[in-house]
Amino acid sequence: MPYNIAMVSDFFFPQPGGVESHIYQLSTKLIDRGHKVVIITHAYEGRTGIRYLTNGLKVYHVPFLVIYRESTFPTVFSFFPIFRNIILREQVEIVHGHASLSSMCHEAILHARTMGLRTVFTDHSLFGFADAGSILTNKLLKFTLSDVDHVIGVSHTCKENTVLRASLDPLMVSVIPNAVVAENFEPLYTTKPSSSTSSTRSTPHPLRGTLTSYDAGRPSLRLGPTDIITIVVISRLFYNKGTDLLIAAIPRILASDPNVRFIIAGSGPKAIDLEQMLERRVLQDKVELLGPVRHEEVRDIMVRGHIYLHPSLTEAFGTVIVEAASCGLYVVCTQVGGIPEVLPQRMTEFAKPEEDDIVRATQEAIKKLRANSIRTEGFHEQVKKYYSWTDVAERTERVYDGITGAISEEEFYGEVNVTASWSGARGRTGVQSFALIDRLKRYYGCGIWAGKLFCMCVIIDYLIFQMLELFWPRESIDICRNWPKKVEMEQEQEQEDETELELGGMSGKGFGRRLRTQ
Amino acid sequence: MTPTQAVPNAPIIHNYNFNQKPPVPSRPFTDPSRLAPEDAFYAHSPPRTRPQPSESYSELDGDAVTTSIPSLRGSASSRRRRGRDRHRSGSRRGKKAWQKLLWVKQKDYPDNYTDASFLSRLQWNRGVRPYDFWPLVADSTVIVQHISSVAIFVCSFVGIYQQRVSPVSVVSWGSASTVLGWVLWDFWVGQAGVLRSGPEPTNVLNKDQGEFINGSAVSSSTSANVLTPSSQSSDLRPIGLGLSLPPVTSSTQKGHRHSHSQASMSSGPSVPSPTLSHNPSHSLLNAAHPATTLYNSPRTHQRLATVKSAILIYIALHGLSPILKSLTESTTPDSIWAMSCWLMGINIFFFDYSGGLGGVRFPASLSTNAALMASTVLASRLPSTTHVFSLTLFSIEVFGLFPVFRRHLRHMSWRGHILLTLALMIGAGTGLGLTISGKPFWGGGWKRAIAGAVIWAMGSIVGMGGCSWWLIGLQRYKNVVRGPWDPARPVIRGGGWD
Repeated sequence: MPYNIAMVSDFFFPQPGGVESHIYQLSTKLIDRGHKVVIITHAYEGRTGIRYLTNGLKVYHVPFLVIYRESTFPTVFSFFPIFRNIILREQVEIVHGHASLSSMCHEAILHARTMGLRTVFTDHSLFGFADAGSILTNKLLKFTLSDVDHVIGVSHTCKENTVLRASLDPLMVSVIPNAVVAENFEPLYTTKPSSSTSSTRSTPHPLRGTLTSYDAGRPSLRLGPTDIITIVVISRLFYNKGTDLLIAAIPRILASDPNVRFIIAGSGPKAIDLEQMLERRVLQDKVELLGPVRHEEVRDIMVRGHIYLHPSLTEAFGTVIVEAASCGLYVVCTQVGGIPEVLPQRMTEFAKPEEDDIVRATQEAIKKLRANSIRTEGFHEQVKKYYSWTDVAERTERVYDGITGAISEEEFYGEVNVTASWSGARGRTGVQSFALIDRLKRYYGCGIWAGKLFCMCVIIDYLIFQMLELFWPRESIDICRNWPKKVEMEQEQEQEDETELELGGMSGKGFGRRLRTQ
Repeated sequence: MTPTQAVPNAPIIHNYNFNQKPPVPSRPFTDPSRLAPEDAFYAHSPPRTRPQPSESYSELDGDAVTTSIPSLRGSASSRRRRGRDRHRSGSRRGKKAWQKLLWVKQKDYPDNYTDASFLSRLQWNRGVRPYDFWPLVADSTVIVQHISSVAIFVCSFVGIYQQRVSPVSVVSWGSASTVLGWVLWDFWVGQAGVLRSGPEPTNVLNKDQGEFINGSAVSSSTSANVLTPSSQSSDLRPIGLGLSLPPVTSSTQKGHRHSHSQASMSSGPSVPSPTLSHNPSHSLLNAAHPATTLYNSPRTHQRLATVKSAILIYIALHGLSPILKSLTESTTPDSIWAMSCWLMGINIFFFDYSGGLGGVRFPASLSTNAALMASTVLASRLPSTTHVFSLTLFSIEVFGLFPVFRRHLRHMSWRGHILLTLALMIGAGTGLGLTISGKPFWGGGWKRAIAGAVIWAMGSIVGMGGCSWWLIGLQRYKNVVRGPWDPARPVIRGGGWD
């Protein structure tokens, strides 16, 4: 049963990032599966109005005041009129919000429930409970998620975090991981004869002009004891990404083995510390700093190395380590957040977030590579099997089925006794009541003061809705024409998974090209 | 429960009766604002220790995982705080055990499957330590001292403003006390210097003079460490609020070690105090004596420098007084009163009560600046330049120098600290009584003064006790949730920079 879905988030292209590409890839795959998807985000610099992306993915750029790091100003109600207009125009049935720092997504979920739509929320990040920012965000999240049909977390740790933050029933939260477009992250040498994608990929990149003599692409597959081992680090240089650990560990790793080189890509406030360390230790000839890189270039940098080092301090999923493994790199990473769930032990070397342990793990990884006890050639195929957006889309579709009642509650939640729902005010799939009084009951439990405040917000939202219905009747809003579907292609896809994957890769690249021309 | 006991539970999990009600979610999200009191007091009971790395590795260990999972899950459920069974997906006999991994396609389990190990790594109120009543009260004396001295300053201003007190007498008394305090402080610093020069005289000899002046505060704080050798090893228990920052913890504890400090008080600089007994070598002590005589010359130099700067400040203030007087003269009195109230409030709220002897941190300097600005603003209401000069100088003494003395006194002598607190309380109460009564002291005002002193002192003591009790009572609401989602604290040895 095809659905009309609206993805709402503050974060979308042209801004680069994990949430952005998640929304894009998921939407594309859902369209491939026959659904209709529109994306609602705020207007970016030079990108306003309505845009069509590959595959007929429609993006609404709503004009909105941006306050901090592309998050919009939380006005609670001001988004409602235009949101209602879009929803009615596109005949949306399910509103799917992304990212807990996006106030647009929270507002959309609130309004969608007022309008009687099913809502899903995907959480992409981990939050603590101690600092003021987290407390505020968590309260806001609790408000929104008091009345939501289902929540998706990107890892099991993320699920635990979301359940705690928003006081949810654990059964209401599904775990659906991120994925990678494996075709965009192929190693330099594949076991199979290279496909058309990899041949276009291996064209000389402008970045390669800067290569120093020690790195002529990825060297031979078998490493001798004196061969150069290159360690790649691609991350934003922030405190949270563990840049301090990296700065402390680099000199020690380099001192322990003269045939190790580093390539570090990314920018951020800690870049200056890193450069200072390099200058003080005179390590410029062993450590190459590339500065900020685009997401399309990541693969070309990764394939130059043997080991990917990821010293992050917190991570909900860590897409980048999956990308690195897909490029055939052995991954050394800190054991924080959702990272231990992401990759199998044979692809990774785990370290505690301590300087000594990171040095130890890296040395261990170097030793294993030199002893040729790790076969990195198979990583790409394995990662391709583990993670694909098609799988993510299928699992998300099951969530949609569950909340709309297309599959029975028992099937969706397992064989649980239906009558004994988690709490009196909270129903489950298909029975999550839209009645205002039931919704108010759900919000009221948010806190002594917050509960009353939230209830007031909901009542005002309801009144605004009624006024909109009165002064801006549904009949006067035009219905959008749908993007024409290529029916025969769809059938092909259902038959052959391989073809579908190819197409996904192509569409992803088409999008990238489009970005570049913009 | 130990993990070995829990292993037999694993089949029971599989035979889960699904007529049973779905479990109530565990405590933190049923009502996050309520804890049982014993949870706050027995910090060791609820939290679980971090899983051992080896265990996590085995959990992650690719294909071999199926064999190790049952025992793992058993241990996970045994570690469950309020061992509630969360497994609710009916009988799954014959299915593969669920793994907390994303790369394994687990078709047997739905995406929203909630395992028994859910939230098993949650740490709850870990490392929360209870407060004790009396140390808390003892620590709150610092706050009472500061509020009392602010009250005294305000009373002095009102006295000067209403022309009931001569500004010169106020500043004379203030300066006399300051000089007395400085002499005492100098004596303590000298003592610290002796203790410091004892073990390693060469260091002192090599010291540059200017550097030593800057280093005096540092030397005194290190001496506090020397004085309490046991505090570093065994006596690491936190005292009271534990407001102090890490570098000064050991010296803060000094405040509660009466015997040590009194012994050091009674001993002169030349006589090694009994606390030096941890340094038994007589030859070293003898070597210290010539060092002391040599050492006196930088000390004298330092004293001279202090006197010089004091005179400089005195003269500069004289020159500045007319300017300060006219600075905010055009502002209406209403604004002045409001502003000075705010500034005094900032002073009280941002004051550094931690009692560390180290450098000035930002909030502390903000507090001092606010107080000085308040006095500057108030000074414009006074009739003559002498008044302005007196008030400004007095405010520098009260807000700039007096806290330093109080801090040192607290480190050197606990009894002195208590006496000073009492004196300040009575002084503030008397001052307030007199100010409010508006009568001269001998013209009937003394009754009010006594009443004021009694009320203020009683109020302070009750407030100290009450607030401490209240804070301890509030501990039951403490709810610190930690888990794998918190950003890890990186451990860096710091060797990478030299």
